[in-house]
Amino acid sequence: MIRLERVSKSYKTSTRPALDDVSVEFDKGEFVFLIGPSGSGKSTFLRLLLREDVPSRGDVYVADWNVGKLSRRRVPQLRQRVGCVFQDFRLLNNKTVTENVAFALEVIGKPRHTIRKVVPEVLDMVGLAGKADRMPYELSGGEQQRVAIARAFVNRPLLLLADEPTGNLDPDISQDIMLLLERINRTGTTVVMATHNHAIVDSMRRRVVELQLGQVVRDESRGVYGVGR
Amino acid sequence: MRASFVFSEVLTGLRRNMTMTIAMVITTAISLGLLGGGLLVVRTIDRMQDLYYDRVEVAVFLTEDISANDPGCTASPCTDLRTELEAASGVESVTFESRAEAFARFQQIFEAQPELRELARPEALPASFRVQLTDPERFGVVAQEFGGRPGVDRIADQGAYLDRLFELLSGLRNATFVIALVQSLAALLLISNTIQVSAFTRRTEVGIMRLVGATRWYTQLPFLIEAVVAGLAGGLLAIFGLLLAKTAFLDRVLSDVFASGIVPQVEFGDIALVSPFLILVGAAVAAVTGYVTLRLYVRV
Repeated sequence: MIRLERVSKSYKTSTRPALDDVSVEFDKGEFVFLIGPSGSGKSTFLRLLLREDVPSRGDVYVADWNVGKLSRRRVPQLRQRVGCVFQDFRLLNNKTVTENVAFALEVIGKPRHTIRKVVPEVLDMVGLAGKADRMPYELSGGEQQRVAIARAFVNRPLLLLADEPTGNLDPDISQDIMLLLERINRTGTTVVMATHNHAIVDSMRRRVVELQLGQVVRDESRGVYGVGR
Repeated sequence: MRASFVFSEVLTGLRRNMTMTIAMVITTAISLGLLGGGLLVVRTIDRMQDLYYDRVEVAVFLTEDISANDPGCTASPCTDLRTELEAASGVESVTFESRAEAFARFQQIFEAQPELRELARPEALPASFRVQLTDPERFGVVAQEFGGRPGVDRIADQGAYLDRLFELLSGLRNATFVIALVQSLAALLLISNTIQVSAFTRRTEVGIMRLVGATRWYTQLPFLIEAVVAGLAGGLLAIFGLLLAKTAFLDRVLSDVFASGIVPQVEFGDIALVSPFLILVGAAVAAVTGYVTLRLYVRV
């Protein structure tokens, strides 16, 4: 599903590469935690998968695409198959919950009848069926993140990337969000989640890939966040 | 591509930047209005040239001797001159104007200024041949051929005065175009700026669009259409301005001039002819500016 072959990424602003000769492979349907301290390369990793950046060296494969070599015109095709969730939700504050989710389908030209059908379904799945007409500022943080997840999942992506999705949420709410991501994972969607949250990683017992200074220092199939951290 | 989505985005964008949109429309309208004005001046000049050069004459003024003693042009050298002028190449017709006729015409021209009429004496006005040329440009040939002949005092070309008049009008036209050009530069920068502001105020939307895989066209088209709508609005406003200038200003202030036939009237038909061009230029320039701006300055 995802394969990085000897990938390095350097930014002009730094002498040390953000990613340094990383090779790793994730299978279809896997749930992977990407952990490591700030500046270890987690965000760069995710940005490369989304083609927000291109690798300085090496190849990044997502599904059948060689992401780094994708022409600009084909980047949207990749992104339509990859969902994305962030710490800061990134909802549109002038649109309702329904409109926020529908927006993701409208802008890729989905027909209206499809949108009218699938948006309520996905809102039901994330547990927001009763709040479809609320505005984002009327919702709690956890609910806003559910909207963001609904938006990322509504087009049934092959891959869901989550960059610290629980970073702004308290532990109970975080646990609910993780259950939701797990449900999405069970539908066959590969989930890659960058996080600092020990409790979650330890309780889920999924694959853990740890980055430090741009290198993979640990890769365990049923890992924990780490001892003494 | 869903048209309804794109258009609702366009409307939102235009509404959100209302002041910028208005400034953009007005500036575009002024530059297009000036361009249209310049084009109308061009049409007027063309028409005036047709009108005037058709009537232009070369005046061959005769000496005092002939003017005083041969009022009917019945003797040599006056008759000789007439025969030769009529035979000369490029000459269409020759009319003799005696001193008395010249004086009568003078009185008629300066009817409104009695002081001048009082002052003038027939003796001050020479008799002349009024020569109509097939081609006004051939004045030099006539002047050269008949310049030193016995009986000829001097030769005057009305075309020379007209040339000066048209030089003045061409200058007016060029000045209009220059102002239009400078103004259009302002309009271009304003369009470019508005698109950048618009893209900035909608950076969250655009960010999400990129993220979920909207194509470049889908993200950029609303901005582009915004610019084109403003360009079209500017074009319409410019046309409205031209119509207003014609009915409220030209037709009133210059009504005497038009009536006398010195300057041909600017017709509604002229404006109608210029209008599609203005709309087209407005929309095309806005579209190109928008496209370039999006390519160069906006990462969407």
